[in-house]
Amino acid sequence: MSQETQKSGGAPTIALVVFGVAAMLGGANISANPPAFLAFQKDLEAQGIPLDLGKTVAAIGVFLILFPVIKSFFLKPLQEAIDQRTHSLESTFADAENLRAEMAQMKSDYEKRIIQTEEDARNQIQSQIKEAQDLRTQMVNEANARVEEMQRKAREEMEAERNKVLAEVRLHVADLSLQATEKLLNENVDNERNRRLIDEFIATAEVPGR
Amino acid sequence: MLEFLQVGSRLLAAGEEAGHATDEHTSGHSTSTTHAAEGDHKGDHKGDHGLSFTGLGVYLAIVLAILFAWTVSMRKGLNGRFFTKWTTQWTEHMYVFVENMAVGIIGARGRRYMPFLVTLWLIIFIGNIVSLFFPSSVTGDLSFNLAMALIVVGYVQWEGIKQNGLFGHIAHFAGPKLPLALAVLITPMIFIVELLSETMKNVSLSLRLYGNIDGGHKAVVAMNDLGKHIANIGGFDVNIPIGMFLMPIKLLTCIVQAMIFTLLFCVYVSMVTHDEHHGDEHGHDHGHDHGNDHGHGEPAHA
Repeated sequence: MSQETQKSGGAPTIALVVFGVAAMLGGANISANPPAFLAFQKDLEAQGIPLDLGKTVAAIGVFLILFPVIKSFFLKPLQEAIDQRTHSLESTFADAENLRAEMAQMKSDYEKRIIQTEEDARNQIQSQIKEAQDLRTQMVNEANARVEEMQRKAREEMEAERNKVLAEVRLHVADLSLQATEKLLNENVDNERNRRLIDEFIATAEVPGR
Repeated sequence: MLEFLQVGSRLLAAGEEAGHATDEHTSGHSTSTTHAAEGDHKGDHKGDHGLSFTGLGVYLAIVLAILFAWTVSMRKGLNGRFFTKWTTQWTEHMYVFVENMAVGIIGARGRRYMPFLVTLWLIIFIGNIVSLFFPSSVTGDLSFNLAMALIVVGYVQWEGIKQNGLFGHIAHFAGPKLPLALAVLITPMIFIVELLSETMKNVSLSLRLYGNIDGGHKAVVAMNDLGKHIANIGGFDVNIPIGMFLMPIKLLTCIVQAMIFTLLFCVYVSMVTHDEHHGDEHGHDHGHDHGNDHGHGEPAHA
């Protein structure tokens, strides 16, 4: 703004002042001693048009002096102050804009971090859930295996016990049979041969429920 | 207030009478001495005189004193980042208003004319305000207004010559380019009419301002006369300053006339400088400035 206005300084200030003073003095002289060709002023004045070209020339001189004076003492400081304030405001607005951009960047980063944290948390939870599920499956499998082992052992023990009991029963039955047979036949029979016969009998005998 | 104005009027008249006597001795020619108020008192409306040279000088001194007092006050408020002093604030409003007007009509180039425009605005506005409180003012003097009009029209011609060259500027007065046969008949007529139009700008600018300010003052005086000796209570005449009711509209006139004068300068400058920027002799269909015109250039073509 100031630069454009500065360009308007056409004629040098000193020349304007000199011309202005000359015009003021000339105007005063014309007003005091109007030349003959300005006699029409009296006619105009008589008609209610108060025109004095001497005053006009002097007023032009005043304006020629006033323009540079007002420009220097009135406009220049005002323009400088307005420019300075405008620049200051522009600088403030630029700073505010930068801060806003920075805040926007920080907000964006923060939101990204929140999203990342949420993602990590989700992944961690999923991982923990999966780990827990694996552990549970493993524990269930181990428990099943242990149960099966215990069942197997129990079955083996039961089988051994049953076999033992069966052997004892068989032996007892054989003894009883021998005793009964001895009493019934009442004769001395070769003990070894009889026992073998009884064993063959027992082996071929069907045990109910087996 | 009325009494104060009358006393001031008499004092100024006394000063002017002294100047008048000197003038009569030196030239035998009766220069302008009287002022409207006194003429009205005598009931003599023939041969309305303006301010004397001395009277104009006194009023101009008053205007300049106010202007420089305002400048000093305004400059004191320019130190801070924010303008807190009311004179500075008002000055800034005025400056921005004039700048917007210049930029709106002329375009961005309008800022080049700000010193000229602001000087005109200040002198006219303060002169008009002075006319509210004093019997006359610089802007109530036709000779002073003619000086401003001559400066305005002269500056416009200077700008036109600077922008278009001497022959380009003269050609601008010749109107549009016409076929040879028409040009021989019509172009000289247009040229003469345009020259007359340029001359009449001085008359219209000066008479408009003079008529408004001096006429306003005469209207106030005439209405005050209506309220004189309206009653007599206990041996005292009761005067009612009816003319004071015109003060609001006179205040409006002060602003409007300052605005019109500066606005017309912008329009005249716009009319003589827009051709070069568009390469169009008439340029009536375009704005004024490339890139910086905001569509406010229309008044220049009106």
